[in-house]
Amino acid sequence: MPCEMQQRRWRHRYCKMWKSVVAAIAFLAVGGSAFAASAVNKDAETRTLIVTEGGGKTELALAAGETVEFCPNGCFVTLPNGDLEALTGSETVEISGGVARIK
Amino acid sequence: MVFRLLRLVLILALVVVSAPSFDAMAQAIGQGSAALIAEQQKAIQDLSAKTDDLEKKMQQDGEDDAGLVDIRLQLEEMSRAALTSALAFRSRLSDINARIEVLGAPPAEGQPPEPEIVASERGALAAEKAEINAVIASAQNLSIRISGLIDKIGAMRSALFRNVLTKHYELSDALSPQVFADAQNEYTGLYRAVSSWLTFAIKFKFQAVLAAALMALALAAVLFVGGRRLFGRIFEADPSVEDPSYLSRLSVAFWSTLLPTLAVGVFLASTVFFFNYYNVLRGDIGVFLNALAAVIAVVFCVNRLTNAALEPRLPNWRLIPVETGPARWLVRLTTAMAVVIGINSFLSVVNDKMGSPLSLTIARSFVATIIVGVILILMALLRPFKAPDGSWRPWPAWLRYTAIALGLFTIAAALFGYIGLSFFVSRQVVVTGTILVTAYIGFLSAREIGEEGGFAGTSIGRWLSATSSYEDAALDQLGLVVSIAINVMIVLVFLPLILLMWGFQPGDIQAWAYKLATGITIGSVTISFLGILTGIVVFIIGYFLTRWFQGWLDGSVMARGKVDTGVRNSIRLAVGYAGVALAALVGVSAAGIDLSNLALVAGALSLGIGFGLQNVVSNFVSGLILLAERPFKVGDWIVAGDISGTVKKISVRATEIETFQRQSVILPNSNLINNAVGNWTHRNKLGRVDIKVGVAYGSDVKQVHAVLLEIARSHALVLKNPEPFVLFTNFGPAALEFEIRVFLADVMNGNIVQNDIRFAVLDAFHSEHIEIPSQPRAVVETKKHEAWPIDDDKIEAEFAEREQALVEAEAEAKRLAKSRRKARKPDPD
Repeated sequence: MPCEMQQRRWRHRYCKMWKSVVAAIAFLAVGGSAFAASAVNKDAETRTLIVTEGGGKTELALAAGETVEFCPNGCFVTLPNGDLEALTGSETVEISGGVARIK
Repeated sequence: MVFRLLRLVLILALVVVSAPSFDAMAQAIGQGSAALIAEQQKAIQDLSAKTDDLEKKMQQDGEDDAGLVDIRLQLEEMSRAALTSALAFRSRLSDINARIEVLGAPPAEGQPPEPEIVASERGALAAEKAEINAVIASAQNLSIRISGLIDKIGAMRSALFRNVLTKHYELSDALSPQVFADAQNEYTGLYRAVSSWLTFAIKFKFQAVLAAALMALALAAVLFVGGRRLFGRIFEADPSVEDPSYLSRLSVAFWSTLLPTLAVGVFLASTVFFFNYYNVLRGDIGVFLNALAAVIAVVFCVNRLTNAALEPRLPNWRLIPVETGPARWLVRLTTAMAVVIGINSFLSVVNDKMGSPLSLTIARSFVATIIVGVILILMALLRPFKAPDGSWRPWPAWLRYTAIALGLFTIAAALFGYIGLSFFVSRQVVVTGTILVTAYIGFLSAREIGEEGGFAGTSIGRWLSATSSYEDAALDQLGLVVSIAINVMIVLVFLPLILLMWGFQPGDIQAWAYKLATGITIGSVTISFLGILTGIVVFIIGYFLTRWFQGWLDGSVMARGKVDTGVRNSIRLAVGYAGVALAALVGVSAAGIDLSNLALVAGALSLGIGFGLQNVVSNFVSGLILLAERPFKVGDWIVAGDISGTVKKISVRATEIETFQRQSVILPNSNLINNAVGNWTHRNKLGRVDIKVGVAYGSDVKQVHAVLLEIARSHALVLKNPEPFVLFTNFGPAALEFEIRVFLADVMNGNIVQNDIRFAVLDAFHSEHIEIPSQPRAVVETKKHEAWPIDDDKIEAEFAEREQALVEAEAEAKRLAKSRRKARKPDPD
């Protein structure tokens, strides 16, 4: 039943309460995106990471200045200098001057 | 010159001292790293050996669903382990990279070569890095292989399930006279196994058996008796109640199913546990006992549920309004169905263990499914309701046709040889049906509790309203919370049960729960319920801590410290806002939300906020200023523009003022800051009241002055200092005008004093023969003819309305009289 149809006052109040609870949860859910690892490219050219996740390899091309979220549950990643690193899914990979650093 | 020489010597000395130490350090690190590499290499080799084993096991156990799930769980664990062992190199890798960066790029062609020591270190670092990369690469390959295996397990399991449902058996082979001989054999085997075990148990383990049985019984008794004592009133149907409410019927049905089933379940589980514990079980007996316990529990639960919902003995307490005869039959039929399914499940375990021929299994399942199908059709054909004219009415059409269709489908599938499918359907009808009905009853009672006044009607609600000071509204809100909690509990308990019934394994559910808790990814957004819940819980805890601290500060510290109420109010509000803001921040960060994301959004919105929320922000800042400056406090009588009244509440955006007509005015704080605000009771409640009096020309003004002054002085509420004063204000057009000015300790008493003085003035003037002139006004007498009433109905309705209003006003007055015992003084304005 849509909220507008409930005319009794107390129902209306709960309706409002529900709306705000739902809104809060939706907000939190959208905001809760900080669980994946993220990669930042601070260089002026495109850099490529090779991500191995769940049985497949994908190339992750980062345009200049771009930030990308990836690998929420752990993965292996090949950095631009050829190093292979494991990520748990909470790190930030920062590329500057062609060198990647994991924080 | 000397200086340069000195420098040279110093540099030489430094190189000599530092060169061996660099070397030693690199060696030490190299050795530590070699140990690490060897360790992780071994770990990864172990993991891949285990993976090989599991892959072999997968091929062997291809027919066993539970085994496959178990293998999958182990594989997932190993995938995590591979990642962890690759993670171990991170600090070493970053060390190496940092060192290489310090060494700089190798010299290009044509440039002077670098020192030997630098070149060798560079080479060593590169070699070590290559080695580490090789180990991580092997971990990566392992993880790829493991996820391939996990996918394969998923495919194998769905193929397995399809196979069970679609396998076709030749009935003519299975249903031959040979089956009877086989059955005879199996029965003899079972009898022999059980009797030999019994002899063994009684001869050698009699005491242990006795102890185990007694312990299990005691545990179940404790649970059952305790439950009955605690919830007895809730789950026992009281035959003396004429017309129990729907809610009490629902809760009786729900609890009288749940508690005894739980008690029986505990009894059976503890029996099996204690038998195991005392080593009484031998061979296959343990498996048989487990199967038997499960069958008994399911049959008992089905029987309890149908009894509770249909109550053949107590028509008043029936949930579904069927007649008594059909109710009895329904209970019998459902129990029979559960018994058939249960026996069949038990026998299937026996068949498995005895290695009986396939034909026996087929024959047994065939018979069971046909019986279930027939029972389903019988139940559908039952006519459970009675029409007002006494004829019997059938079930609603959708229910009837669904049941008949299910029954016919089961029978047809069995007849065509699809025994697996047929048995799957019949088992689902019984078990899933039972679970669904129980869950549905739970949902209904949760909804009833959530209704207005529903919770207050329950025994807990009555107890709460009797022992605590909760009002109806609070109880209603509590009821809402309880109903939400019941709903959540039902989903948490029954969803896994149904999933288990539909062929999912506990491992599946565990994996899903893990995924749900740590985060599911939709696109680039990851939703983690655990994180969100943590955030909400942390916020709630912070909120209540703030409220508690606020109360403590206000009630204990500041009240004892004799702090001014205005300051108290300000401090309490400020502490409250700061605490809630802090709790929100902590909650948000506990939820794992990156505040920098929000900062980005806030930055983008700040321009819009600057324009759009200008007023709100200005009011907010004004509210903070009000709290700090305190031009008025709660309870003050203030005049702001046209509005005059007492301050009820000062919040951050607006201030609530109640006028003396009891109208609440919400005044934005910026108005109170930017415009003049009069406060009658700012430092003290002292105030002056002016009363105008006019006397006729020709009166003795000295006498008038004396009389008025005497009246003013003699009033009890008028202050002696500052003295009351009578001002001869004006030679007016019709009168000589005087003004009595008196000061009051509490300006709120102004109206009382004005009234008293005016009465006194009239009395005094009367006795002193002083006249108060009044301007004559022309009096025009009009004669109004009332129109002859035309619409009698309308007049009657109006009359009734007036009467009604009168009655209501009287009731209101009575209520007010009751609630306000203390006589209030009149409002000052």
